[in-house]
Amino acid sequence: MNLERGVAPVQIRAQRDGQFLFLIDSSMPFQMILRYLEKKHKSSKGFFVSAKIILDLGNRPFRFEEVKALRDMLRHNWGASVVELRLGQHLDSFFDWASKQIDIPIRQIPVGENLMEPVVVRQTCRSGVRVEAPMDCIILGDVNPGAEVIAGRDIIVFGVLRGIAHAGAMGNRDAKIWALSIEPNQIRIADLVAVPPQEDRHKPKKYEVAQIKEGRIQVLTF
Amino acid sequence: MPGTTIVVTSGKGGVGKTTTVANLGTALAMRGRSVVMVDADIGLRNLDVVMGLENRIVYNLVDIIEGRCRTEQAMIRDRKLNSLFLIPAAQTREKDAVHPDQMKELCEKLQQDFDYVLVDCPAGIERGFRNAVAGAQKAIVVTTPEVSAIRDADRVIGLLEAELMKDIQLIINRLNHKMVKRGDMMSTEDICSLLAIPLVGVIPESEEVVVSTNRGIPLVHEKRSSVAGAFRRIAARLEGEQVPIPADNAEEGGILSRFKRLIWSS
Repeated sequence: MNLERGVAPVQIRAQRDGQFLFLIDSSMPFQMILRYLEKKHKSSKGFFVSAKIILDLGNRPFRFEEVKALRDMLRHNWGASVVELRLGQHLDSFFDWASKQIDIPIRQIPVGENLMEPVVVRQTCRSGVRVEAPMDCIILGDVNPGAEVIAGRDIIVFGVLRGIAHAGAMGNRDAKIWALSIEPNQIRIADLVAVPPQEDRHKPKKYEVAQIKEGRIQVLTF
Repeated sequence: MPGTTIVVTSGKGGVGKTTTVANLGTALAMRGRSVVMVDADIGLRNLDVVMGLENRIVYNLVDIIEGRCRTEQAMIRDRKLNSLFLIPAAQTREKDAVHPDQMKELCEKLQQDFDYVLVDCPAGIERGFRNAVAGAQKAIVVTTPEVSAIRDADRVIGLLEAELMKDIQLIINRLNHKMVKRGDMMSTEDICSLLAIPLVGVIPESEEVVVSTNRGIPLVHEKRSSVAGAFRRIAARLEGEQVPIPADNAEEGGILSRFKRLIWSS
């Protein structure tokens, strides 16, 4: 995650609508984040006065004190307003806090299965096509060079995979790529990238699976 | 019965769209069909040069669309064939001078009077491409056995499918049988398995094409040329005839087969 987002504890991105997205690093101690923002505030020379800011905690656990401190700091020191708080996938801490507030235990019901449904593409993905799936992605056809398939979890290609496939795009290292034949110029799982060896891969086979083993992407042929 | 509008496209430049239009148009006209070729490459016209009709241009495509002349006035008759016409592109204008809707209207009008309307599409996938595709019911994608050309052809097929074009066929141009045999060039089979559209013909690589282009006479007029034969067979297939496509290794096999061919052609 760190590599993907760079080293800054808070990444600031300008949004199309003029708002600013503050992406808070998930692993950095909170004091470091505060210190970084103070430094940023001094160097920005009032750039953020009356700015609208979206706080994105990413995978950082929700802690009421932290959010409150950030809100007060941005409001009073920077003169900016926090218009939105975005929570990542780890909502347990948020529910803990909420249940303490109302003094009733909260049980989180798992997200409905329909949100987990795979995206099914019933044709060949040609060059220039980009398929994005929140969870699994199933392609009934080939993935040609120049096409991109990105999935939160597994990618299953019922054909030849020749384009770019990125499984576990949100960082899930257990994701796998299945295809009748894996012949891409590049393959990605989570944060790892692999380039297949330059050899003749037109051997008869049933199917192939790409997965991470011992920190490297491996392609197994069956 | 109205005719068919066929767009010849490729995505990548220099793979032989214009040569294909010139030769297919001529081959179809030689079969007795009435054909009009429309050069949609506004600003970079060269179909007229390939047909050897450059010096006869008075009006062009943009003149028709902007109403400065009647459609018949811009149509140039071929030097040899009475049923073959060309509508040249404007050289001094740009692709934006024409709107896809106007192009569609023109193609519909031409279809009433001709058996075939062949549209020569410019390279690229921008406005010029959309203009050329707008009025077509059929598309022929031309590619050469190079990875870059095939990648672009794949993209163009995707775009054509997005425009709900159902009838898309493939021509592989400039195939060198010797190189395929040595394993230095992608074979017809490889290309077809990747692009996954029906193949309508394979045109062998030949120096004759350059000579005929420079002379301004389509190669189809040359009876003995293997390229001319390939184009004539494609024309026959477009008309619904069942002409088998020779396999990669069938032509120029050994001394014997070459000898056999000499006997047949004489």
